[in-house]
Amino acid sequence: MGTVGYVVIAIAIIVVLVALFTISFVAYVKTPAPAGCEAGKGPNCENCEVVSCRFYASAEERERKKRQEANSGEKGN
Amino acid sequence: MDQKPSKLRVFLDPLFKANPLFVMVLGTCPALAVTTSFESAIGMGILFTFVIFFSNLIISLLRKIIPDEIRTPCYIVVIATFVTVVKLLSSTFLPELYSSLGVFVSLLVVNCIVLGRAEAFASQNTVVDSMLDGLGNGVGYTWAIAAIALVREVLGAGTLTFGKVFTFIPKVTLPILSGYTGSDFSLAMPLFKSSAGGFLVLGFALAIIAAINNYKDKKAKEKARAERAAAAKGGNN
Amino acid sequence: MQYIVSFILAIVSYMVIDNVILSRYFGICSFIGVGNKIKSALGMGLAVTAVTLIAALVCWPLYNFILVPANMEYMETIVFILVIASLVQMVGFFIKKKSISLYKTLGIYLPLITTNCAVLGVVENNMAYDFGRSMANALGTSLGFILVIFLFACIRIRLEGSNLPKAFKGVPIALIVAGLMAIVFMGLGGIVDLGSWGLI
Repeated sequence: MGTVGYVVIAIAIIVVLVALFTISFVAYVKTPAPAGCEAGKGPNCENCEVVSCRFYASAEERERKKRQEANSGEKGN
Repeated sequence: MDQKPSKLRVFLDPLFKANPLFVMVLGTCPALAVTTSFESAIGMGILFTFVIFFSNLIISLLRKIIPDEIRTPCYIVVIATFVTVVKLLSSTFLPELYSSLGVFVSLLVVNCIVLGRAEAFASQNTVVDSMLDGLGNGVGYTWAIAAIALVREVLGAGTLTFGKVFTFIPKVTLPILSGYTGSDFSLAMPLFKSSAGGFLVLGFALAIIAAINNYKDKKAKEKARAERAAAAKGGNN
Repeated sequence: MQYIVSFILAIVSYMVIDNVILSRYFGICSFIGVGNKIKSALGMGLAVTAVTLIAALVCWPLYNFILVPANMEYMETIVFILVIASLVQMVGFFIKKKSISLYKTLGIYLPLITTNCAVLGVVENNMAYDFGRSMANALGTSLGFILVIFLFACIRIRLEGSNLPKAFKGVPIALIVAGLMAIVFMGLGGIVDLGSWGLI
């Protein structure tokens, strides 16, 4: 097997793995979460500080909205 | 949405104001693992800068092509490619550095900073901005881990190795003990080179930064209050 | 017999002596981020355990029977990260479909595991070992991860109410506590004579 063969095998392995990952990724994202476990809900999320978590952004967003509402309420009064 | 930051800000912010290690507290694993010696910390910083620069570059080039749904797999492939490049280059040209960093070169793939900058910055900004951001984060991270390594190596071994060996804590002769095991006693504290020392040094560094920030906040508040008081006085007159 | 004893000793040594967080520095991000509640700490620990074990089980044959014969060891990093990431998504997919209670305990931590250095670190280390030792490494490492993250959560509950200087609140004191735990775990180094079992 020459150099070309090795390169072909290497690229094939990568392509297969990427395809596998993509399929499982899309399958995972497309599956709806069970009731009561939607993003950013549940007791597990309250004290978590992992910034790289994809639920963290939504939790932050919620926090900001809450604060905004509180501010606007104060102004209204 | 606030206005777009200037090119200079994009580069300078990650150096101090948004330093990936000291402010965002990301990438702590290599920051603790490779900081037992100053040289390997600098080497790690350079490899890290290389990876984040090129992954930001490629991801921002491809940001309009990559479908939104499979962006994470694409980012991982791009980053892993550059980590492999770095691994091959460093094992060929810098074999000593490569063996001293060990598995942490491979672990650049899962470095929170690289993936985080790809997701948060490179996927939404222009190529030049992303390159500057990658460079800024790389340099910011490098000086941060170099600072930690400086403290750990000087306190832990008493020396600083960078090209040649500089001695900071000299060996001393203690008259009481000299008849006991010899005359050269090192006053260095090996605890700082051990795994516990890394946690302690980083913890104290973060505490010092928090203290400085608290002090600045307090000053700013006092200043604002004084200005408000002065304005109120002016209004009365 | 000797094989079983050395397997158990290897697990113990990877679990407490050469602990994944306190001495090998893998997975500190998740350690600091999650260590606030015992329940979430255990969920994170279990998720890491599941993925580490499966990844070690899959990657060892993949490396030794495919990459090494084909002379492609240089691809290990990219192959391993893709395998780990796919595994994480597949496990997450099945948990999402099949079990609500399991999803509640560890489902939400699964997306974080891909970027947890503990999994990739263990798999990369395993490439130098034989199959038995790499399984011991995976098992011991994940048990050590659960142990430390659980102890740390317990300590942080106490820290919450304590009267700390303002600058130390949050991450700094967490790191210092981790440092003190590392000193304690250093003392456990004496319980197994690693050299005589060929484990160093």
